[in-house]
Amino acid sequence: MRSAIAGSLVVFAAVAAFAQTSRGTLAGTVRLRDAAVPAVTVEVKNTSTNAVLTATSDKSGRFKLTDLPEGVYEITVPPLGIAADRFDQKDVAIKAGQTTTLEITLKQGNLGVLGDDNGYIAIHNNSQDIRGPAPRTRDGHPDLSGVWNINVDPHPVPASLLPWAQGVMKERVETNFRDQPAGLCLPDDPTPTLPLLRKFVHTPKLLVQLFEQEPHYRQIFLDGREHPNDADPTWMGHSVGRWEKDTLIVDTAGFNDRSWVLFAEGLPHTDKLHMIERYRRPDLGHLLVDLTLDDSATFARPIERHMTWQLAPKDDVLESICTENNKYQRNAGIK
Amino acid sequence: MRTYLFVACAIACLTTPVAAHHSFAAEFDITKPVTLTGKVTKIEWTNPHAYLFVDVTDAQTGAVTNWEIEMGSPNGLTRLGWTRNMVKAGDMVTIEGSLGRNKPTLANARSVVMTATGKKLGAASSEATQ
Repeated sequence: MRSAIAGSLVVFAAVAAFAQTSRGTLAGTVRLRDAAVPAVTVEVKNTSTNAVLTATSDKSGRFKLTDLPEGVYEITVPPLGIAADRFDQKDVAIKAGQTTTLEITLKQGNLGVLGDDNGYIAIHNNSQDIRGPAPRTRDGHPDLSGVWNINVDPHPVPASLLPWAQGVMKERVETNFRDQPAGLCLPDDPTPTLPLLRKFVHTPKLLVQLFEQEPHYRQIFLDGREHPNDADPTWMGHSVGRWEKDTLIVDTAGFNDRSWVLFAEGLPHTDKLHMIERYRRPDLGHLLVDLTLDDSATFARPIERHMTWQLAPKDDVLESICTENNKYQRNAGIK
Repeated sequence: MRTYLFVACAIACLTTPVAAHHSFAAEFDITKPVTLTGKVTKIEWTNPHAYLFVDVTDAQTGAVTNWEIEMGSPNGLTRLGWTRNMVKAGDMVTIEGSLGRNKPTLANARSVVMTATGKKLGAASSEATQ
């Protein structure tokens, strides 16, 4: 039995040897361009029960879920950094005693502009098989040091904006986000959500984050100090961190109101913006990052993002001087 | 200041831009794809974007136009397997991309293929993991 679904997905179903069972199997491969992609989460939702199961692609990009109740399913692969957009396929039938095979070809993100995904998949693929416990600093806390490949929240809840902010966003959409600060080589986003490399240098009293965009560094003070009173507002704000068991909680305030926050969203905010990050390193190769943005003058409710970053031990942050040859103003028609 | 357009949706994003690092949609028109074949005259291996300059000859009139082709940053291209010497002045290339909005001879590159070898540049790293 064979059927085809329009798009990049083709479904083949073959009668398995054990046709007596009431369960079926879903299997396939995840690819981007011509390359298999390992360690990708494939989400499989039963449209009758809303139950969601997940599988992870192996080194060859293959995945498999067995023992699925017969029914109709929706298949989703969350976006991968800047490299690949979300993949959705509805109406995938799983039949008893049969294996349905999905050949998933992800759609290139960022419109596929060469080099603009910053080699995300290459880094992702080079960072597999990293196993072991999280290292610890001399004072016993998890050591967050390393080069991290930031990934996006796979299921972001849309921000709820107050009317003035909705108006700003309408204008930004209508002008193709032309006036983003990054276009002028200014810092764009103080939140750690742009899915590129970010290097952590962690000492017991200080966590330094290094990255390839302006302003290229961020200091998080772990020495018990508090935010200064009446300091000048800044693009990145003032950050202090404290430990709650094995979670580093970073509190940042003192922002100016000029940045556009949250990668892919470009939201406005006021200088009342308050950012909380929670960092956990459950093992050597992963960093769990929970982000909360609160600005009651802009957001109807706090915004949360939940990300899993991957250690990229074979890569490093590199020099990138934005003003070297920036043609954005000419290209975007900014006088 | 690289061009990052995160497309969180499929078709809707062709008409609804989304913010990223800075806006692709402000610079280039995705509804105007271009394919250009010509001789490389210059390379700018610079931040925030690398550029190829390519002489394209009109098949009917013989007129030569020098196109400016924007790519990602040197760092991003390097991670895809490029080196700064991979393409030289005089090489023939074919480029697929989108037309610039504010300069008639500007485009970006979704792919660059070396005419002499047929090699598609910038795809090596991910495919090398096969």
